Amino acid sequence: MAQDAPAAVGARLSPKLDEASLIRAVQRGDQDAFEQLVRAYDQSVLRLAVNLLRSQEDARDVFQEAFLRVFRSIDSFRFDCSFHTWLYRIVTNICLDYLRKRKVRKEEPAVVDTPEGPLDRMNDFEEEAAHADPERAMRNVQLGQRIEGALGGLTPRERMVFELRHYQGLRLRNIGEILGTSEEAAKNCLFRATQKMRAVLGDFQ
Amino acid sequence: MNCESVTKLIPLYFYGELPPEEEDRLEQHLDTCAACAREAESQRALSAALDRRAMQPAAALLAECRHDLMRAVYREGAPVPRGADFSPRGTLVPHRFAAWLPSLGVWRMPLGASALLALGFIAARLTTPGAAGPFSFASLTPDVISSVRSVQPASHDGSQPGEVRIVLDETRQRVISGKLNDSNIQRLVLAAAHDENNPGVRWESVDLLNSHSDSSPVRELLLNRLAEDPNPGVRLKALEGLKAYTGDPEVRKVLAQVLMRDEYPGVRIAAVDALTAHADGKMVGFLQGVVQKEDNTYVRRRCVKALQDMNASVGTF
Repeated sequence: MAQDAPAAVGARLSPKLDEASLIRAVQRGDQDAFEQLVRAYDQSVLRLAVNLLRSQEDARDVFQEAFLRVFRSIDSFRFDCSFHTWLYRIVTNICLDYLRKRKVRKEEPAVVDTPEGPLDRMNDFEEEAAHADPERAMRNVQLGQRIEGALGGLTPRERMVFELRHYQGLRLRNIGEILGTSEEAAKNCLFRATQKMRAVLGDFQ
Repeated sequence: MNCESVTKLIPLYFYGELPPEEEDRLEQHLDTCAACAREAESQRALSAALDRRAMQPAAALLAECRHDLMRAVYREGAPVPRGADFSPRGTLVPHRFAAWLPSLGVWRMPLGASALLALGFIAARLTTPGAAGPFSFASLTPDVISSVRSVQPASHDGSQPGEVRIVLDETRQRVISGKLNDSNIQRLVLAAAHDENNPGVRWESVDLLNSHSDSSPVRELLLNRLAEDPNPGVRLKALEGLKAYTGDPEVRKVLAQVLMRDEYPGVRIAAVDALTAHADGKMVGFLQGVVQKEDNTYVRRRCVKALQDMNASVGTF
């Protein structure tokens, strides 16, 4: 399970400046501070977008839109929650908009047909996939298709909670705070998501 | 704790979201209930399968995102003069975020999608007595960026005690606007597409020129940038503008070179998509060679598919 909790992200900040000082410096218009702040979080933001949206182009758009919103509204950040939570509210809102739009328009599938069977173009992200043996690659592709199908059956909100808990390693309390809901609601969402996933993938061992 | 409640708690247990006392009770139940233990195992298997789908974005994608962001930040920050002020670095700035400009380096030159071309000309004029006339704050308008080179006690003849001498370097911007089908504007944008110090300007120029790829000089420029530009983003942008000409022998020749030589998989993927969009019997040997040497799965499979569509063998014998 991938873990990318806020503490781990914060550890990427320079020891010279704590996060609050960095944010205040950004609010004063300090470019170096903004770059440092972006670089502390941008890998996890991009990974979240890529994993959720399964599209490089969409992930790139989300990345840009999210950090531009940070840039435009950093003055309104009043330290009444962590910067991580504030940033992730922005990112998850943008991603949820993308996921909801996909529910109403059929997206181009990430998996394309080739003479050797279906190929997931997103495998270009995974260095290991390019060198895997053919049988293993085929099994991975089949499993990938089933997982995509299972993930596709989740509502955008279930998908988001599952992504933040399973792949980003955030606590449900924090997820509730990000999504503007209670920890209990996040728990229920995670339960529904795992039940749906197991209903589709249950016979896979 | 009964089986129904345990089933609901298993995902939370797995993710470590249960309070310690509830976790203890659940573990006691799992020790004595084979059905619920299978449920827990099933949850573990699901999680392991999902772990294998975790993706790490390519470093190149992250780098491109960072570049795009900084360019966008500059565009937002630069043009709006909201009360000019001196920054702590001694640079006259239109508003607070323009203080970032010096570090933005390659993105400093504005070049928008509306075919508005702005070129900066460095005057490098020093304000020495007699050389530039009396200094006036009113002359510092937003189109002149002044940097303080040095501040020293004045030592020229006739200087008064306590007088200081400030040397400014000034960069004066000049804005030229017009339509791209104006030959003078097009010539400037073609030149900007070769600016070796500024990939941002090259990218913007190529992006603008893509809409004029029916012009022969523009197409030549796009071919040149596709084959030669050191920045993969610029090469990809140039390739976009050539998509309507993938049947042209000269374009196909460059695409083939790119497919064989480009170090960046994203560019090779775009090149193979463009090349194989047209069935071409002359490409059989070439595509067979790509299949042999290419290490990107997608590129290799696109070549294999193109060969099979032409009823050609995949390997060389």
